[in-house]
Amino acid sequence: MSIALLLILPFTGAITAFIIGKISKKYAFVFAEVIGFLLFALVVNIFLNYTKPINIPLDWFTFGNVTLPFGIYIDHLSVVMLLIATGLGALDIHFSHDYMKEDPDQARYYAKILFFIGGMILLVSAKELTGLFVGWEFMGLASYLLISFWHQNNTPADAGVAAFLYTKFGDIFLFAAMGLLLYFTGTLDLQKINLLASQNQLASSVSFVIAIFIFIAAIGKSGQFPLFPWLMRAMEGPTTVSALIHGATMVNSGIYIVARLFDFYEASQALIVVAAVASLSAFIGATSALVQKEIKKVLAYSTMSHLSLAFIGLGVGSLSAGMTHLTNHAIFKALLFLSAGAVIMSARHNKDLFRLGGTYKKLTLVAIFMALGALSLSGIPPFSGFYSKDAIITASLLNPQTHGIISTLTIIAGVLSVAYIFRVWLLIFAGKPRDLELNEAITTPSKFWIALPLGIMAFATLALGFYQKELRVYITGEEVGEAHIEYLLPSLLGAIFLVAFIVYKFYKSRPDLRDNLAAQPFMKAIHRVLYNGYFIEQMITWFVQVVIIHSVAKTIHWVEVHIVDGAINKTVAMSHSIFMLFSKTTTSKVSNQAGVMLLGVFSLFVILFIGSVV
Amino acid sequence: MSYVALIFLPLFGSLFIYLPTRNLGGTKYITLALFIFMFSQMIALFTALPEHGYMMLGEYLPVTKFDFILTLQVDRLSVIMLLLSSVLLILVTLASWNVEKKPAAYFSLLIFFSGAIFGVFLSTNLLWFFIFWELTLIPMLFLVGIWGAEGRIYAAIKFFLYTHIASMLILLAFFLMYKESGTFDMTLIKESMLSTPVLIYFLLFIGFAVKMPLFPFHTWLPDAHVQAPAPVSALLAGVLLKMGAYGMIRLVLLLLPETSQKYAWILLTLGLITLLFAGFMALYETHIKKMVAYSSISHMGLIAIAMSALSFDSLSAALYEMIGHALIISPLFLIAGFFHQKLHSWEMKDMGGIMQKAPYLSAIFVLAGLGALGLPGTMGFIGEISILISAIESFGAWIVVILFGSLLASAYLIWTFRRVIYGQMSAKVSATDFSMHKVEFFALVIFALLILFFGIFPSSLFEVINQAFSPYLNAGGAL
Repeated sequence: MSIALLLILPFTGAITAFIIGKISKKYAFVFAEVIGFLLFALVVNIFLNYTKPINIPLDWFTFGNVTLPFGIYIDHLSVVMLLIATGLGALDIHFSHDYMKEDPDQARYYAKILFFIGGMILLVSAKELTGLFVGWEFMGLASYLLISFWHQNNTPADAGVAAFLYTKFGDIFLFAAMGLLLYFTGTLDLQKINLLASQNQLASSVSFVIAIFIFIAAIGKSGQFPLFPWLMRAMEGPTTVSALIHGATMVNSGIYIVARLFDFYEASQALIVVAAVASLSAFIGATSALVQKEIKKVLAYSTMSHLSLAFIGLGVGSLSAGMTHLTNHAIFKALLFLSAGAVIMSARHNKDLFRLGGTYKKLTLVAIFMALGALSLSGIPPFSGFYSKDAIITASLLNPQTHGIISTLTIIAGVLSVAYIFRVWLLIFAGKPRDLELNEAITTPSKFWIALPLGIMAFATLALGFYQKELRVYITGEEVGEAHIEYLLPSLLGAIFLVAFIVYKFYKSRPDLRDNLAAQPFMKAIHRVLYNGYFIEQMITWFVQVVIIHSVAKTIHWVEVHIVDGAINKTVAMSHSIFMLFSKTTTSKVSNQAGVMLLGVFSLFVILFIGSVV
Repeated sequence: MSYVALIFLPLFGSLFIYLPTRNLGGTKYITLALFIFMFSQMIALFTALPEHGYMMLGEYLPVTKFDFILTLQVDRLSVIMLLLSSVLLILVTLASWNVEKKPAAYFSLLIFFSGAIFGVFLSTNLLWFFIFWELTLIPMLFLVGIWGAEGRIYAAIKFFLYTHIASMLILLAFFLMYKESGTFDMTLIKESMLSTPVLIYFLLFIGFAVKMPLFPFHTWLPDAHVQAPAPVSALLAGVLLKMGAYGMIRLVLLLLPETSQKYAWILLTLGLITLLFAGFMALYETHIKKMVAYSSISHMGLIAIAMSALSFDSLSAALYEMIGHALIISPLFLIAGFFHQKLHSWEMKDMGGIMQKAPYLSAIFVLAGLGALGLPGTMGFIGEISILISAIESFGAWIVVILFGSLLASAYLIWTFRRVIYGQMSAKVSATDFSMHKVEFFALVIFALLILFFGIFPSSLFEVINQAFSPYLNAGGAL
């Protein structure tokens, strides 16, 4: 019963919120908030009363002899994902009260947010790949619609297009994987696929290809190399949307699907590919985050990098490390995004880091909560971020396949996170205001609507640090002996503090050092590469524009016009002139011909009729 | 009620409705009432239908000398087509509520068309089938040629000539069948041995491929679609193209199963080329209605691929996709035509930001577009996934390349949304009033609801569709 409610409520709620919002803007929020917390309560209820996996097999439809199932399966992994999605979702809706206060389209906003949460719930409670794919696509749609929420302007509209198409490119591989899995295994049940793979009942070449196909979809959804540019452009949407969808929940679904099919990935030898792609992404994300000028872009690259860390955790064979990092990251990244949202909102929707500064006095609470989130992200004990990051780095060093390039890139990405997040914090809150006029205008945000959700998340990211072992056991279902490397912790912490010190020097006490360094031509070139995300987006855009549209499509267009249609057109043109000659001599009005023609057809019938009788 | 009246009442009645109402007005009410009546009759027929096989409705006008008998017989396949056609006729009538130019003639032609289309789907005598088949062309010719846009005469003639020549091939095949089997009755021909099945196969194949249309016989369609008034475009895509697909299934795949099996690769190849070729054309197009037209052709390619797989699964999938395609492409045509009517431009660069002017209309456009690109929750997804699965069964893993067509569809539709619906308002859009007549809007809402309903609850439709093909099953699921 509560399961059915959990699955249906977001969608009916979305429609109702829209209708209510059209009648009165204010009540759209109230309604959405009620639904949001109700969903969270339902999930908590499932969490507390959990005894064994909830397994409800259902069929969707049968075509020919094929039946496509649409069942529900909720185990520990799903419950964790559900708690993240609905908990952060509810807090995000609460935060939206102030963030979206002045927007005339609140009805649409809350409807889409609820629809999104529904998609996420569907994704993580699906028993089969069909339900998972439906949730996956629903979230993609919600993401597209919410990124281009302010569709009146061109940039958000363009960003929405990018988000949809980049992720859709991945999605068709998931679609294909679905067809192939049904063909080769006869089932779409995720548990059965894991089982078949671990019993070696699948040809390894087939399962490897399918695993890679699914991973390509994960790359698209979770913003990994090379399909990440959409995630950066998605920052055009409202910050509440970035926090929920592009920081904490939807982007996790790529990791979730690999975790869900973990045995399958292990058996198909595809984990090393996951680790390799993810380590490259982690490096690209972490380095690009260092030089961004907008708050949200830093956070977006940081998201990319941290999702990669979770992928690496899975890729090096540690399901628990990957999934705990996903959980920890979801919380502290939502906190960081919403803190950034509070800053942006208070600063008249300015996102430029270099126009802020010295706002600590006015935004004290936000600054403190953001600092806590930053500490967790940097991996400082006892915050939750430390434990999972440490576990991932340890696992990558201990795995002989990934010891080397992959583990090095992982460590670099892990350590650099302190640099970019500390830089952001210093630029926003510390020092003297860079833009006096803007600083004057900054208002202190509401304690209840803004600070409270931030406080809850800050508490959660700290508290979760003390429950890491329980979380690992909860997710994997077994006590995993944690491997340790003696020298790792002190050297990691040493590196983190060294980097933090350099950042402090550069952005607080000695900005002249930074400017001197940045003036070097070599550094300038590097800065450009990093700032543009290694020019991946430019390359992809070039490929689509020049190769697909202006070469292939243009050629096909030429073939259509000049060859396929060309010959026929000549014939038609000839008949046309004959027709015109004919129509000049008959009735002057073309429109009268309809009646005449009907008369002709009528007589034809009479003749036929008489003929048939005779 | 004799079903033969459902054919001849509209065919002859159109004239008698036209003559008095051309000055009095009110033709549209009669038309709507008639179509609703026809729809209710089809519902009644559907519920009376036996589980399997044909149901004889009567034989009329016999000229037994050469088997020229109007035999009316239906099975599930034809009733599904009849139901689809009558729903579309009702919705198209609603969508044409505001026709200003010669409304009496316009609606009379729709009525005439409805009679002809009922004739096509009801009759199992090949000669009568052919007569009705040809009769559908006449109202279409005038609907395009009189109510169309600037280049309507050219488009109408191209459409008429092209499909007419194709019809000649079909007629030739029918005569060959008669010569070899001594009958024009579809059900009897199925049981008799034809001595030249290959020749007949190719004559019919080309004839129906033009109508569907498949590459390289598709070029009449973009022109006809662009020039036709929007509701007629919807009718073209929703009913006329489906006649081609119906003919391909009924008279080629089911009537000549062995030959079809042997030459399935031709249908498959043409389907694949159509899917991708038209997809790329749509990608390159900046003319909104041509974009929709190529999108429509591209999806017909998908249907052809499903047909070529020639299994119970794939035919069910194809039939579902035919219905889905009709319900998805029609609103796209209607809305694209409406934009043109208001803006007097087909070019997407003159559009942009229409969402701000007409949010609900734009939302329906987006919904139908999402259906066309196969988003779950719409009919498009169900069609695509069932076609994919059944195609893999027949052709193996490589057939997943058809998903590239789905990627192309995403690209051209999302870019279209961006250029037409979203973004800053263009000067032209901000100066235009986009208010739509309530009845026309109502028709679009029905389309949207149908797309969603059958997308979320496809089993309600598949139950019927599966039964349509189960009589043709041999053991093992192959045809």
